[in-house]
Amino acid sequence: MRRTVYLDHNASTPVHPEVLAAMLPFFGEVYGNPSSVHGFGRAARDAVDDARATIARFLGSRPDEVVFTSGGTESDNFGVKGLALARGAGHVITSRIEHHAVLRTCEALEGQGFEVTYLSVDDQGRLDPDDVKRALRRDTLAISVMHANSEVGTIQPIAEIGAIAREHGVPLHVDAVQTFGKIPIDVEAMGIDLLSFSGHKIYGPKGAAGLYVRRGTKMVAVQHGGEHERRRRAGTENVPGIVGLAAAVEIRSREMGGEAERLSALRDRLWDGIRGRIPETRLNGAKVARLPGTANVVFRHVESESIVLGLDLKGIAVSAGSACTAGNVEPSYVLVAMGIPVDWAMGAVRFSLGRSTTAEDVDYVVEAIEPLVAKLRLASPSRTPVTT
Amino acid sequence: MRYSPTLVDHFLNPRNAGLMRDADGVGEDEYAGCGDLTRVFLRVRAGRAAEVRFQTYGCGPTIAAASATSELARGRTVEDLVTLKPEDVETALGGLPDDRRHAADVAAGALRNAALDYLRRRDGGEAGRPGRV
Repeated sequence: MRRTVYLDHNASTPVHPEVLAAMLPFFGEVYGNPSSVHGFGRAARDAVDDARATIARFLGSRPDEVVFTSGGTESDNFGVKGLALARGAGHVITSRIEHHAVLRTCEALEGQGFEVTYLSVDDQGRLDPDDVKRALRRDTLAISVMHANSEVGTIQPIAEIGAIAREHGVPLHVDAVQTFGKIPIDVEAMGIDLLSFSGHKIYGPKGAAGLYVRRGTKMVAVQHGGEHERRRRAGTENVPGIVGLAAAVEIRSREMGGEAERLSALRDRLWDGIRGRIPETRLNGAKVARLPGTANVVFRHVESESIVLGLDLKGIAVSAGSACTAGNVEPSYVLVAMGIPVDWAMGAVRFSLGRSTTAEDVDYVVEAIEPLVAKLRLASPSRTPVTT
Repeated sequence: MRYSPTLVDHFLNPRNAGLMRDADGVGEDEYAGCGDLTRVFLRVRAGRAAEVRFQTYGCGPTIAAASATSELARGRTVEDLVTLKPEDVETALGGLPDDRRHAADVAAGALRNAALDYLRRRDGGEAGRPGRV
């Protein structure tokens, strides 16, 4: 069988077998609606309540502060719009490198009369907490900052930003989709008022996610209907998904520390292998405060999509920093915001490692990339190749 | 796989990739939508493309299209090269997805420009220069 190596864990992860086992009964014998008063419903309600308690413990919060949603995008929409619409008018602070779930939501709010400040980041993708402080206005109603960036893995100084937010009485929303279950999060210690998290980045199911909402935070629901989730998010709970999300969290709380250390070492092995063999490469993102399994690497003179295709043909899954959609390629807005020249940004490839990644996998990938990049560069007009 | 085996083969084993020094004709074309760029070099003997080389910057299909074009062009008269159609390149690749058709346009365009450059030089005009290096 052909060898396959999956290095796209920031996009999604396989469901852990224990998670799947925990979910299965809720597709079968426990099928009641948690809102129903009969035994079938109560059994489902108990499972949802248990899951909520598990996640609350993991975050250092109270169970009633956890709201289940259908995904990270919904959580981000709910968090940012929920805060803004509760006030009706005002100002939001965010950064230029947020996920589109936050950026597009902010743009939609601008269309409704809200004002948004998009803060710049430095060349490592790091937000300066002083910039947050300087951007605050009397009518600032929310600060929304991601915990770690999905493309480059840079971790933001959330605790410092949280302290500023608290000092000025402005709620802080944190998109933690890429960090939840990977590095420690304590909503109390970090001064977080709302936190988006998702299951499928941590070996849980897709379609199961949540938003932590600090008790007393003034916000409104954005999805209306029944009185689910304490009237904060209407819609029958995705019981199997919620159970799976909690099971994934249980596993992460056991494995997270050791796994972060292991992945950091593998990530460094990958980068050392690449830079040792291939000239004109560059590692993007913070050198130290970076997600354990994430390495964003530029291969100069080559378009990233051709590397993704070449590696795919070798059974290796990675993701391109630039994507050609319907014949249009835009360099990554995250890399551009970090001041990386466009011709470099076009050759950026993201490697995101995970539970299944081994040292042999990493070595196999390095072995495969070297001749691929050499061949692509030979044909590239931005470099003088060998002639015959 | 959304690409044909022929396309994949051209991508993995590009034919005639690289610079040609003292070419008789040089042409470029690019697709502004995604920054794809292909440059074609021709060596002409007795009115035919005796040798064809290319350089390209772009996604997999763009590289494959340039490679296939270099094979299609070889041995043809220069006049033929001017009229080679993107559809011919696409056929030679075993098809292209809709959102990658520009790969064939860029390759055929670069070949046409190289052929026109040769004809201009032959007829006493100035040698064309690629717009971007």
